[in-house]
Amino acid sequence: MNLKGYDELNSLEIDTLQEIGSIGTGNAATALSQLLNCEVRITTPEVRIMGYNEAIEWIGGAEEITAGVLVRLGGKINGIMLAVQKLDFVNQVLQSMMDMQVEDYIGLGEMERSALIEVGNIMISTFINALSGLADLEIDLTVPAFTVDMQGAIMAVPMAEYGGQSDYIMTIGGNFLCNGNQVPCRLLLSPDIRSLNFLLGKLGVSDGE
Amino acid sequence: MLITYALGSCIGICLYDPLVKLGGLLHIMLPLNMETGRKNTLKYADTGLSEMVRQMTLKGANTSRLTAKIAGGAKMFESNGNWGNIGQRNIESVHMQLKKHGIKLLKEDVGGTVARTLLFDVSNGMACIRSYGKPELII
Repeated sequence: MNLKGYDELNSLEIDTLQEIGSIGTGNAATALSQLLNCEVRITTPEVRIMGYNEAIEWIGGAEEITAGVLVRLGGKINGIMLAVQKLDFVNQVLQSMMDMQVEDYIGLGEMERSALIEVGNIMISTFINALSGLADLEIDLTVPAFTVDMQGAIMAVPMAEYGGQSDYIMTIGGNFLCNGNQVPCRLLLSPDIRSLNFLLGKLGVSDGE
Repeated sequence: MLITYALGSCIGICLYDPLVKLGGLLHIMLPLNMETGRKNTLKYADTGLSEMVRQMTLKGANTSRLTAKIAGGAKMFESNGNWGNIGQRNIESVHMQLKKHGIKLLKEDVGGTVARTLLFDVSNGMACIRSYGKPELII
């Protein structure tokens, strides 16, 4: 229970988080596969510890527009989980659920937004359920919030939230492939430092336990 | 031209001294620096603005002539309860810090739910704001 910053994680701890990412993302992929009725594969999820500028560059530029579903975690683990949905992913969802596609995000109506929120929510909830079962922890989830805007500002939400604790942000997550097509959607889990220590302790890899 | 991209709940602060034509742009993320011994002063409204004023004064600006234009402080995700209020707290803190330094706030474009990219032309003190789905705004 003694990590003060994400940059202090050792390789065993990072491996553990990577495993959580794999299991969580895998479960989310199964849910997505059932929802969209197609084969879904995942890329190997990664744990990344980044400064703000690095995080923005990694996700593909600050001003690029994207859709984002945000769920806040409470209970034993505090944190933020984001599903970043790029346009190709949006169209994949809309095509299989509503038999339609949009040219750009402006074309999203009330129904389409609602569908995207639900897909994001289901993916996030499945991920967290897996984590909760794995670590034997109760984790509460808030109602999902949705926005379409510059991804730099979306990524800044967890940064600002935990900015007082660390100059770095940690994200655990992976990417999805539907029927062999890359559908850019990332699930990003950002726990706060205290919860991260608690989680690692629960999983038996923290030095402090 | 100074640019800061995708201000969500963060705030961009443009300071300008029209006499010596000196301008600066600060991007703050949080309202108050609560940590002791924290090196990253520029992340916070209070310590960030003090540091900016100090550096601009060293370069020949005078606090009494400085004017400010600010943008940002949006709420990116609608939510119930009191989280997600960082934008609003940032706005209040920046207002307070400007007042404390005696800097006149000329124009602002703050709050709302939309991210902003802020461009500041230090040759004439004009600022321009780009947002998604909105026309450019000159302040």
